[in-house]
Amino acid sequence: MYEAQMILTRGFQNVYKEGQPVGFQFLLKTAYYRGTFLDLIGAIDVSVDGKAYSREQLSIGVKGRVFTMEEAAKAEDVHWDFGTPMIVTILTPGGLKPGIHEVQVTLGVNPSYVPVGLFRATGHKRMTLVM
Amino acid sequence: MSKVTRREMLMGTSAMAVTTGLPWKGFELRTQTEKSKLRRGVSFYSYQEEYYKHEMTVEDGFAEVTAMGATGVQLIAEEMVPNYPNPPDEWVDNWHAMMKKYNTVPTNIDTFVDIYVGGHRKMSMDEAVETLSGQCKLANRLGFKVMRPTTGPVEEPAIEMVERALPVAEKYDVRIAPEVHAPIPLGGKYIESYLELIHKTGTKHVGLTVDCGIFCKKLPRVFLEYCARHGAQRRVIDYVASAFEGGSTHDQIVAGVQKMNPTDGDRLCAGMSGGYGPITNDPKDLKKIAPYIFNIHGKFYEMTDEMREYSIPYEEIIPVLMDIKYAYSIDSEYEGQRWIQDAVITDSFEQVRREHVMFRQLFGEI
Repeated sequence: MYEAQMILTRGFQNVYKEGQPVGFQFLLKTAYYRGTFLDLIGAIDVSVDGKAYSREQLSIGVKGRVFTMEEAAKAEDVHWDFGTPMIVTILTPGGLKPGIHEVQVTLGVNPSYVPVGLFRATGHKRMTLVM
Repeated sequence: MSKVTRREMLMGTSAMAVTTGLPWKGFELRTQTEKSKLRRGVSFYSYQEEYYKHEMTVEDGFAEVTAMGATGVQLIAEEMVPNYPNPPDEWVDNWHAMMKKYNTVPTNIDTFVDIYVGGHRKMSMDEAVETLSGQCKLANRLGFKVMRPTTGPVEEPAIEMVERALPVAEKYDVRIAPEVHAPIPLGGKYIESYLELIHKTGTKHVGLTVDCGIFCKKLPRVFLEYCARHGAQRRVIDYVASAFEGGSTHDQIVAGVQKMNPTDGDRLCAGMSGGYGPITNDPKDLKKIAPYIFNIHGKFYEMTDEMREYSIPYEEIIPVLMDIKYAYSIDSEYEGQRWIQDAVITDSFEQVRREHVMFRQLFGEI
């Protein structure tokens, strides 16, 4: 579901500290048919141009708050709304170079009526980073 | 420039303040004829893709229901209620205002008690009851008299949870109607457990939501073609489709495909085929649970140009509903978008409209 629509082009950018790029971020919508509390998010596996990033490098921004995946697993009262993007931030020194990138995300959502790991959606998007 | 009176200007402003206005202003409001007690409605689940893409608002959904002469509005709470489960008062006030403006009624609110908390832990029974009770309060705020909670694995009844939430359901006058969803058989443990609870307690606040996907006689064609686009081999697709139609169980189909040197796409096809039917369900058996059916999910995957559902025999289901004098709503639940959106642009509105033409035909209205 929603594989072709989950990754947004707008908002794709590097993030900076002390003038240096320390990572990048992009916007992601759920690929499931309802919003969920953050604990239902089982996985957000990100790779760019074939390079996979680890769970430890990733944080998510929902409703103005930022969570590591470990924190998200316990955020049982923070709701990621259907159709509303979260901000996915990956810390990687140097960020990404300006130009076209192939971004791939596999999202796992774990509602309790199906076994854990059953719902996974992989989206790809070729999109341009400016700075 | 023509002169506009103050009154006309104010009327114009208020009409512009909403997304769609009242398209029938100056015309008669169409309503359903009374040949059948059955009411037509739409679960806004049907319109999920347009909502997701911000191509429509909730109000646009109301206007579309009215444009089809339907009256029922069903909602997946976590799909469209802002700040779930506690929407702002302003949103709730507007919700009720739209019900009035568009001459619609709330039919069934669909909720989830995710008892396994994303697989991290299991909720205590107290917590699950508290969650379900909170959902009853939300249902009441939005004027729903029926609520469908999904309480855990599809085929597992949640008798204790529902029983313990009953005082709250009664207080808020919300009837809890767990869903008979594929692949639940009519006449199995799931339904019997809820009937036992109803008989034991004498409650009027527990019943069932029936999803017509349990009556699939064929696998949806849109699903099979999705599998073909995602690596399933034609010979395997043909096997899965004909085995399903021939009455093979899901386990038999999975085992059969396993022997065919399957690709990932083949396994997807076999695995997901378990979400339809089972084919042994007969619409006539609805008669046995007639008094307990509080809502029908008019599930569909593909309406053809002939105004028929490709997989589900509505021409057998609707006469049974009329026969048992089912007097609640059958609400469109379009689920074909997930099988086509990778290849074509979804038009949920068109698909739902076709189902409503079919309903009108089968009700004897046209």
